Amino acid sequence: MTRLLASILRAARATREAWRRLRAWRRISFTPGGLAFTIGTFAVGFAALNTGNNLLYLLLGAMLGFITVSGWLSEQAIRGLVVERRFPRAVTVGQELRITYRVRNAKPKLPSLAVELVEHGLPGRAFLAHVAPGETTTTRSLNSFVRRGIYPLRTLTLATSFPFGLFLKERDVELSGEVVVWPRTDRPVQMPLPPAGSAPHAGAPPRGGAGYRGEYRSLRPYRPGDDPRDIHWRSSARLREPVMREYERDGACTRWICLDLRGEPSEGAEVAVEVAAALAARAAAEGHTFALAAGLAFVPPDDGPGQLERVLDVLARVDFEPDAPASVPPVEEEACILVQAGSAG
Amino acid sequence: MNLRLLHRRLAVLMALAGLIAFAGGAGFEPVSAVLAAVALLTALFWHPDRILSVRLERVWLPLAAVLVVRAAIHVLVIRDDVVIPVVDLLLLLMGAEALRSLDAPNDVRLYALSFALLLASTAYRPGILFLLAFVAYVVLSTLALMVGHLRRKAERHAVREIPLGRNLLLTTGGLAGVILLVAAVVFVTFPRVSRGWAGRGETMATSIAGFSDEVSIGEHGSRIYGNPQIVLRVEFPQGPPDDLLDLHWRGRSYDHFDGTRWTRSRGLPPSSGPTRWYRERWPGPWIEQKIFAAPLDVRVLFGIHPIVGIEPQNGVQPLLDNAGDFVYWGSGAPAYTAYSRAGPPAPDSLRAAEGGYAPPFRYFLQLPDHLDLRIPALADSLTAGLTNDYDKAAAVQRYLRGFRYTLELPATAREATLPWFLFERRAGHCEYFSTAMVVLLRAAGVEARNVNGFLGGEWSEFGNYLAVTQNQAHSWVEVWFPGFGWVTFDPTPGGAAGGEHLESWFWPGRILFDAIQHRWNKWVLDYNVESQVGIFRSWSGLLRPRQQSGVEDRKGRRGPEATVWGGALLALMLLGGLWWVRRGGRGAPPATRLYLRLRETCERAGVRVSPGLTPLALVERLKERHAGAARSAERVVDLYLRARFGGRELGESELREMNAALGATRRMLKARA
Repeated sequence: MTRLLASILRAARATREAWRRLRAWRRISFTPGGLAFTIGTFAVGFAALNTGNNLLYLLLGAMLGFITVSGWLSEQAIRGLVVERRFPRAVTVGQELRITYRVRNAKPKLPSLAVELVEHGLPGRAFLAHVAPGETTTTRSLNSFVRRGIYPLRTLTLATSFPFGLFLKERDVELSGEVVVWPRTDRPVQMPLPPAGSAPHAGAPPRGGAGYRGEYRSLRPYRPGDDPRDIHWRSSARLREPVMREYERDGACTRWICLDLRGEPSEGAEVAVEVAAALAARAAAEGHTFALAAGLAFVPPDDGPGQLERVLDVLARVDFEPDAPASVPPVEEEACILVQAGSAG
Repeated sequence: MNLRLLHRRLAVLMALAGLIAFAGGAGFEPVSAVLAAVALLTALFWHPDRILSVRLERVWLPLAAVLVVRAAIHVLVIRDDVVIPVVDLLLLLMGAEALRSLDAPNDVRLYALSFALLLASTAYRPGILFLLAFVAYVVLSTLALMVGHLRRKAERHAVREIPLGRNLLLTTGGLAGVILLVAAVVFVTFPRVSRGWAGRGETMATSIAGFSDEVSIGEHGSRIYGNPQIVLRVEFPQGPPDDLLDLHWRGRSYDHFDGTRWTRSRGLPPSSGPTRWYRERWPGPWIEQKIFAAPLDVRVLFGIHPIVGIEPQNGVQPLLDNAGDFVYWGSGAPAYTAYSRAGPPAPDSLRAAEGGYAPPFRYFLQLPDHLDLRIPALADSLTAGLTNDYDKAAAVQRYLRGFRYTLELPATAREATLPWFLFERRAGHCEYFSTAMVVLLRAAGVEARNVNGFLGGEWSEFGNYLAVTQNQAHSWVEVWFPGFGWVTFDPTPGGAAGGEHLESWFWPGRILFDAIQHRWNKWVLDYNVESQVGIFRSWSGLLRPRQQSGVEDRKGRRGPEATVWGGALLALMLLGGLWWVRRGGRGAPPATRLYLRLRETCERAGVRVSPGLTPLALVERLKERHAGAARSAERVVDLYLRARFGGRELGESELREMNAALGATRRMLKARA
């Protein structure tokens, strides 16, 4: 009995998988005009059968011919297209994400017309009016996000109702990728005064001055947002990838942003994330070294736009939970700017 | 031309095609059809702006309301045919939609209205014009639907221009051919389960000079003018008989003569010979006749005498009346297969015929009151000493064949009588001859009756059928022989069959057009389950090895085979086209093909092109002969090298450029040669 059930379950899974693959291969649905056309075709066929009027059979044949040609041409429109997708790694909530598609028509004879490109889960559509055989063209879609987070881009759907607008035919293309949606950084915040004893050392050079980066510590791989002035060219040439110099920072100048993740996910929690992001953005703009501790996530002190991106990346990912661990920064509690869901703003 | 304008023009042309299709079936109602045609033609070249478009709508709406009321009156008050008022309304709406501004999103309405018109025309039995309009409609709607779709998408995505090259439009037009092919396949193979469609609104033809429901000899004053309208198209599945010009297409018989006119007696008792006699005692072979008749003003089914069976093909219901004539129920032009015996029994058999069943004498020995006494006397003199009916009939027939046939009518009423024909004029048309023979035979005591129908016909080589025209209407005689039934005698001398039209300049064209029309009627309008079975049988027959039948193929027997081979060729061409489209990258790349053509061109122009000659060396060699050609060839080679060794595919524009450079090289080398 158990083996039978297991077999049935296996068969069900196999069927579901086959159906999923089939649907990914091609999907066909009616447009409103197509639905009317199909009903009309049935009606003409019914009338032909009932009356024996041969001209109605002729009309029926022509209507079926339209459906056949429509199916064939729509197939030709979406097949043989090789798509590359380009988009910025991250985008801020409320800003537009422009996804650019580079599409090559690999068919030797037939052009592709009126094809729409739709990302699964995103509202924006790109439109390809015409791609000649063997040619490449680009098109783009615009999308915007209302919530921070990680948006995986996996399935791109090529859809067309060419040539007659009767049926919508879709084909899925697997293109992996993800968009990081950062929280807003434009929320107005007031930077709290540094606690006593955390003032910079007297005589420390200002940003941009000699020795501002601190003492040289080591080399490390490139991270997005790093200052190109810190590239260690000799090592980069040897390893054939960018290698960066890393410097000791003055811990006393660092602004530690501590985000408390303990609590239910709510609008207030999102506000707290945005406040943390705004604090980081302000610190980056003012040229300060800053760091983030959010639950177990930890971004070590650094400065510049690269550091801001790292902080925003973490903030895009954080989740609020009642039993989340408390943030444990490697500095005294008084040196932290604590951001909590309840106290945000 | 922008997409909007192109799309509107295509939609308007669709509407025009629908209008022509309707005209091909129901004919034109002059006012509405002409107005609609004018509106549609105007819409091809002129469109109002938005403001004028709104103003025009204020005109169309009241007119449409009037037409709706008119249609309602037709349905509710007059209880008349509602199709024409509805079609008028359709035409008005179509004109109104066509004459709207280009911004109006009314393309779907135009499609729907033109399709409704096409649909309405199928309710009739349209002629070949419908086919032409239908093909045009499919081509235009393929283009219009595609351009309309692109237009909508472009507007939605704010795309200014979609490149619609001529090639794309031609390809799309070509796809209409595929749609028509699918339509043909569905039409041929879709199982027919119901009886044929008789069509509506079929108007009965009026006989000008031809077959009618009476035979009269009283006309006088002028000449009988022929009417070359084709009324019967007859196919012989077993091959045409040799004596085509002597075939008598029997229609109706008449038993009562009042001195000038033949009529059918009311309450005539069954007077036909039993079918068994015709089946068993008539010795000739069977003749199968597939007859496609035009609608006449008398619902009669024609065939070679004696008809022993009729199979209807398009929904008509044949009925054998008491006189032994076939009439039918059901509207429209009848199509049927008649089975007859070829040729009468031998004279000796007829001479020996006696006893058995005979029809009531009083009907078939009836003579008009006040019959001229010279007529019985003539009958007696002609049949004196003859002991059997056959010899008597043959004697009278022989006597009358000595008269002269003419279509000139007698000058006065007095000269239009039977005695004048027999004793004074001795000339006349067929009705005089048949009337005279029946009266003489009856006066001699032989049962006889007058019959009319058509004589002979014209064989159409193009259509493999016999075309019988109105002016081949004819009148002859049937004589009763016990044990054999009614036997045909024709006293009219040679030259009776009206053949003047055969010499007219338009007749070959007419017969060709008629053959097309006949095929349309036979293979489209009257296509039925028998036709389907016939086609499938001929197809399956092709797959079996041919047996030696010993029977020579006769005219008209190669049709289905030609169709099958034609279909196979077409399918092969389609497969070839599909292979060509799909072949694509597997063959030589386009740039390589063009370069190879360049080498061929140079070789033909006398340049020595060895197999190992490199492209650049080819250009150098060409420079020695023709600097101009070498310049354009250099461009071809440059693009070829880019594609071949540069690791990238050439785009469409570069291929075009390469093609143009190759053409220029070719022209210059040819000019030099």
